[in-house]
Amino acid sequence: MAEQAIKVENLVKHFGKDESLVRVIEGADFQVDKGELVALIAPSGAGKTTLLMMIGCVEEPTSGTIWLGDEKVYDNAWLTKETRKIRREKIGFIFQAHYLIPFLNVIENVTLVPQTNGVSKAEAEKDAMALLDYFDIADKAHSMSSQLSGGQNQRVAIARALANKPQIILADEPTAALDLTRSVSVVKMLKKIAIDQDVAIIMVTHDEAMLPLCDRILKIEDKKVVSQAVPENTKMI
Amino acid sequence: MINLAQKDVKHTLGKFLVTAMGVGMLLGIVLIMIGVYRGMIVDAQVLLNDIKADLWVVQEDTLGPFAEASRIHDDFKDTLRVIDGIKSAEALTFQNIQLPQKPQPIRVVAMGFDPLGTIDPINPERIVQGHGLEREHYEIVVTDTTGFKLGDRIPLLRHSYKVVGVTHGTVSSGGDPLVYISLKDAQELQFSYSNNRIRNDRARGFKNSEVLMVNTVVAKVKPGYDVNAVAKEIKRFKYKSVYTAAEQKWILTKNLVKKASKQIGMFTGILIIVSTIIIALIIYTMTLEKMKEIAIMKLIGIPNSMIIKMIAQETLLLGFLAFIFANIFSHLIYGKFPKRVVLEIPDAWMLFIVVIIASILASLVGIKKVINADPSSAIGG
Repeated sequence: MAEQAIKVENLVKHFGKDESLVRVIEGADFQVDKGELVALIAPSGAGKTTLLMMIGCVEEPTSGTIWLGDEKVYDNAWLTKETRKIRREKIGFIFQAHYLIPFLNVIENVTLVPQTNGVSKAEAEKDAMALLDYFDIADKAHSMSSQLSGGQNQRVAIARALANKPQIILADEPTAALDLTRSVSVVKMLKKIAIDQDVAIIMVTHDEAMLPLCDRILKIEDKKVVSQAVPENTKMI
Repeated sequence: MINLAQKDVKHTLGKFLVTAMGVGMLLGIVLIMIGVYRGMIVDAQVLLNDIKADLWVVQEDTLGPFAEASRIHDDFKDTLRVIDGIKSAEALTFQNIQLPQKPQPIRVVAMGFDPLGTIDPINPERIVQGHGLEREHYEIVVTDTTGFKLGDRIPLLRHSYKVVGVTHGTVSSGGDPLVYISLKDAQELQFSYSNNRIRNDRARGFKNSEVLMVNTVVAKVKPGYDVNAVAKEIKRFKYKSVYTAAEQKWILTKNLVKKASKQIGMFTGILIIVSTIIIALIIYTMTLEKMKEIAIMKLIGIPNSMIIKMIAQETLLLGFLAFIFANIFSHLIYGKFPKRVVLEIPDAWMLFIVVIIASILASLVGIKKVINADPSSAIGG
């Protein structure tokens, strides 16, 4: 039986109050298991990033419950003051652009979070080299991000997201700036990571061509989050 | 653990160094300003220390020749010599004169003294060429900054003066170059007028009786006598103002330099405030340039303390480097100033403490920005 990585119950997010109240999410209920790659789709402004930020313990929900793994982190209020520690230990982030720290080289970017978590430099670098090797960029370990191609940087960014051995990866439109071939390559890589590393991945995307590569779709409709299977008529690439 | 400040500085080393150099030049000016003040104090005491007089007798109710006009008769030295406790006494004059020099005349202070007297105000250690005055007329000892050389002849009024000695580091209490001439020549220079003026004065019935006036009479006290007691005696019976060497030093270094020191103190204070603001603006700009990276670091879970440490370390490093550059800059240029600039190590350490405090204050601007940075701004392009 698949192990739960994310569980959300009756999650609500409002901005403002009284006359300026904006209802973004009204009662989201879903679960994502380890090893799953789930696409999060919705029109622009529907609340995809807000939902991602709530799961990522960045944006505080208005109410509801969030479990990350078997730990309940939110129950109408954060259950810990150290939400940043939760992010550092349980979650990996991938962005539209690589957003590597420009003054750190590749291996320093990858080992930054593990070292902050208390992992020794030697151990963090050993794990990082294994990850870079997995992504076929081990030879770039001591290069600066400015010396790498866009694709190489994106792979380093993914390696960074995995470096803290997270249970969850939240990817915010990781293929938005890529052409179709590279997009497919990245999403296939994420799928492989989900299985190999046993992590749950939620990927925000606007690109319907990526959906067949995912296990499931979460769609925001009328401020509700609906879980869907990948449509059978979607063209496989 | 990765030192973020070290990595960031290394990444933008050139820019960081140029910035530190700029701030350093500003701080260097602060050091120079303090050095100008120190130079004024030193200059004020050069003459005093060279003469080594115990007592300065000046016109009654005046502060003496360095502070205001003081005229007393030159034979007062004879009166002083017979007072109990006085070892020697000599008359001195001080006057501003212009020495003809190319491309333009040079303004100096000329001290007149009796070359055959008992007090020689020329410190022999300062003579780098030639010797002191040996004759009562038409000899001059110049300081090297005037540009005259040994044997040069300098025309003054109706006579030509031969340079018999060149000194180094002799300045008046105001920092102007100091030259020495005999008392008689000095009195002639000070009180002799043109032939037309003399004829005119005679027609009006005026007599030029000022020729025997001097600005001060200095005296040395015999060993075993209390300088203050001797001064009190002179003051009591001879209707003159008398200052001991310590009092004269106070007049020169505290009274006369008081306003100048306040002026320089104000300037220095303003420069330090401006430097602090500039460091704060630089740190703020440097932080703004990194806001995306800071938001990402916060998003991926890097604690505030680590990011704040980066900002604080960079600010302190900037302040420290600026301090080093300030010292290099000030030491490179201080010799080019026309008046004495004295750079002292305690002043540099004081500036170091001020720079560190200023840097800590300046880093607060960047730290506030870090604390307020929204991690969610990293998402969404």
